[in-house]
Amino acid sequence: MNKHIRMKRPQTNPFLCVLLALFAVAPSLSAQRIKGSDTVLPLTQEAGEAFLKIHPRASLTVTGGGSGVGLSALVEGVTDIAMASRKIKFGEQMKLKRAGQEVKEVIVAYDALAVIVNPGNPVSRLTRAQLEAIFRGKITNWKQVGGEDRKIVVYSRETSSGTYEFFKESVLGNKNYMSSILSMPATGAIIQSVRQTPGAIGYVGLAYLNPHVKALSVAYEGGGFYAPTVTNSMNGKYPIVRPLYYYYNVKDEALVRPFIDYLLSPAGQKLVRDGGFVPLK
Amino acid sequence: MNLKQFCEVAMRRILTVSGFTTSIVILLIITFLFAEAAGLFRNKVVEEGYTLAVNRENPVENLSAEQIKLIFDEEITNWKQIGGIDCPIATFRLEQLTELYTEEELGENYERAGDCIAEQVEGQRGMIAFVPTDLVKDQEGIRLLEERNIKAGDVLLGDEWFPTATPSPLFGILPLVSGTLWVTFFAILIALPFGLAVAIYLSEVADERIRQVLKPVIELLNGIPSVVLGFFGLAVVVPFLQQTFDLPVGETGLAGSLILALMALPTIITVGEDAMRSCPVTMREASLALGASRWQTIYKVVVPYSISGITSGVVLGIGRAVGETMAVLMVTGNAAVMPHSILEPLRTIPATIAAELGEAPAGGAHYQSLFLLGVILFFITFFINLCVEYISSRNKR
Amino acid sequence: MQRFSPRAPQPATTMNTPQYPSAYASKKKRTEQIVFFLFRLLSGAVALSLLGILGFIIVKGFSVLSWDFLTLPPTDGMTSGGILPAIVGTLCLMAGSACFAFPIGIMSGIYMNEYARKGKLVRFIRMMTNNLAGIPSIVFGLFGMALFVNYLSFGDSILAGSLTLGLLALPIVIRTTEEALKDIPDAYREGSLALGATKAQTIWHVILPMAMPRVITGLILSLGRVSGETAPILFTCAAYFLPKLPESLFDQCMALPYHLYVVSTSGTDLEAQQPIAYGTALVLIIIVLLINLLANSLRKYFSNKIKTK
Repeated sequence: MNKHIRMKRPQTNPFLCVLLALFAVAPSLSAQRIKGSDTVLPLTQEAGEAFLKIHPRASLTVTGGGSGVGLSALVEGVTDIAMASRKIKFGEQMKLKRAGQEVKEVIVAYDALAVIVNPGNPVSRLTRAQLEAIFRGKITNWKQVGGEDRKIVVYSRETSSGTYEFFKESVLGNKNYMSSILSMPATGAIIQSVRQTPGAIGYVGLAYLNPHVKALSVAYEGGGFYAPTVTNSMNGKYPIVRPLYYYYNVKDEALVRPFIDYLLSPAGQKLVRDGGFVPLK
Repeated sequence: MNLKQFCEVAMRRILTVSGFTTSIVILLIITFLFAEAAGLFRNKVVEEGYTLAVNRENPVENLSAEQIKLIFDEEITNWKQIGGIDCPIATFRLEQLTELYTEEELGENYERAGDCIAEQVEGQRGMIAFVPTDLVKDQEGIRLLEERNIKAGDVLLGDEWFPTATPSPLFGILPLVSGTLWVTFFAILIALPFGLAVAIYLSEVADERIRQVLKPVIELLNGIPSVVLGFFGLAVVVPFLQQTFDLPVGETGLAGSLILALMALPTIITVGEDAMRSCPVTMREASLALGASRWQTIYKVVVPYSISGITSGVVLGIGRAVGETMAVLMVTGNAAVMPHSILEPLRTIPATIAAELGEAPAGGAHYQSLFLLGVILFFITFFINLCVEYISSRNKR
Repeated sequence: MQRFSPRAPQPATTMNTPQYPSAYASKKKRTEQIVFFLFRLLSGAVALSLLGILGFIIVKGFSVLSWDFLTLPPTDGMTSGGILPAIVGTLCLMAGSACFAFPIGIMSGIYMNEYARKGKLVRFIRMMTNNLAGIPSIVFGLFGMALFVNYLSFGDSILAGSLTLGLLALPIVIRTTEEALKDIPDAYREGSLALGATKAQTIWHVILPMAMPRVITGLILSLGRVSGETAPILFTCAAYFLPKLPESLFDQCMALPYHLYVVSTSGTDLEAQQPIAYGTALVLIIIVLLINLLANSLRKYFSNKIKTK
């Protein structure tokens, strides 16, 4: 019996020491927490990496979760910058007002949405009306738009992502997608699926394009067909382009401004361009 | 001595309190989930802060969420389709304002926007406008539609899940509930023969050496994180299914069921095996002595004796499958439709919560509807646990 | 086999054969052979599929594993570098949830086995514990977000994540403690009490030390469960990118399962992230494997000890 008692002590003590060592440090003050849209995430993450190289003493946390999470975290005061791929909503604005907070909005970059299909698909261009019909389930076979006789498999982002809403606004004229659409939790998953599925169509941010999927040229009413490229997006020829936002509390201006300024500087905007997003100027 | 007594009492108190922790946690879970979920039914059908305005001559009183969706999707194009006057429907959204009016006409801070909207709605008899309440509440020439709260029936029996549709989101949870049950059903259908076979094999057939190897392997299967299985499913199972069945798309309910079956297996096997091992040796010997073969002994004596243990293992497996989140999210395709075939994409409750909670504005109807899904999931598993409880208590008798 | 083995497995069949040299006996035997063959086949399939999954991940992930992979933060948009913050984050979460779940779980187990009067109350508490064990992890995530993150405003933090995971581990700890205590014969308790020890002393000096081996095994297994969970920390703790190691309870942290989810579904260059994903999956599996091995060997070690005594 005694043996057991002696054995127990060394079992617990080092364990407790490790725990104390892990937790007994005070929170650091200059930490910035950035949270929100998964679309802006890669951009912020790369900029953050570069920013930390210049300011090694600064501390930066980048978290995804979505535009909604970022903005509500801003209301709760648990993040310093909220990233959003959509404009702040009416309801969220009301909530901020009620909480007595004043937020500032900064457009940090633009993002073009590319419509992608499997590389084996002969279709290479679609009009907005055709896209609307496809995503609303009115056109269900590729031969209806000049392709092979194959069922169209439509991939979309999650119902509440900013990307989903923007595509709905811009391409579907605010009408709803069909209900049998496949919604993927992240853009990477859409790429993966479109690559594997011969009849697939989906939409992703320009930054995500890779050689394993084919981006379509798109024409809006009356316009010509344009391929989704940074140049076409900057000169306004490619139609499906949206701004990406940072929101922050006015009272935190001093804390967050250095990072935002860095992102807006030529060096930061170069990162934007390298990352596959559309720079401001 | 006094100190000793004090210690005694203190210890008893502390232990008693901690003994009730789990019950308290369950109560807290119920309270918090319910508090958020109940809020859903206090929301208006139309998005918060907005309203629907129609022409004064239009007799329509109120519209259901589904009708509103169909109108704004231009599926319903005439008021008489929903029992109104014979007049084509024209929809109007706030964004159209800037196309119709110059900034001067609207005013610097949109103070004249309300008048402009009213002008539009008054001008066309069939127009329905979706605009912020603040802008139009004082306008004379138009009529605001009566605002209904979201009805429980529409949510619980609705078969369309459009949580972010404007002007009025649809929270029909039926496709999600049936998707969950569908995937779980097939997962158990796949897991059951394998699970029972392995359980019987382990407890009755295999010799000790094989058991020593197989048992830890099964325990290990239990320990594999679900994300890893999901990752494996995405990289291997999904393309495999697509090619084998020549499907248009590989992310299907079946992919989810296969992964879930893998996750339910260890539970079924361990619990089932334990139950069969507890069958007394004397009973087996009696059966064998009567001339029954080992197989006859197994299915005539051992399995019937331990059937309630086996059942509770299976039910626990179902519980595990119902609540599984990440793996399912990664492989089922998440299409919110009523499932007709296991070879089509579908969407489960846990996957919906995990995927959408991130983007839903906190405190809004969408956020609350996800908590409602949480409540439903909680009750499904609660019910399953009660079943296990019942079955195993019958076992003891 | 061993169920039947020492006493009378062979006679059963040998005795039958001479008595019924008929078609019935051979049919019976054939059925048995076929059925047992099927069992072997299915068991083999299950074992193979598991080994297949493990093998797949080990083969793909092994080339990625290196000292740098384990000790560097991710760089270049998650396409290179290592996963140190995720490993540390997962360890923090394990430690944090252990701090919460172990004491409460053990105390709760003691209460249920030693103090509570057997009857309706214990049945009720046990039912609640079983129910808690059955609640899906995503519901814990919802609850953790509503209670810890929002209501108690801990924010997304290691604290909130650990508490949420702790709740998840709690029923496992309680169950194993209770079962370990139950197996200790009452004679020990009575002996100790008869010598004049109080109930608390009996538990502390006699019962707990005896039950400790099994309790510790249970604790380690619950840690294994905690280390692999994603859904509960999705909304309570996990950070997408946080190169610095956590410094306080109120920091967020990266975690291995979430990192795996992130690198396998999002990010701009999935192609380049694939190796990282396999590597992360491998590290996660190795941790779980180690934990299982540890628990198993502890179990063996202690049971040998008790036998030799």
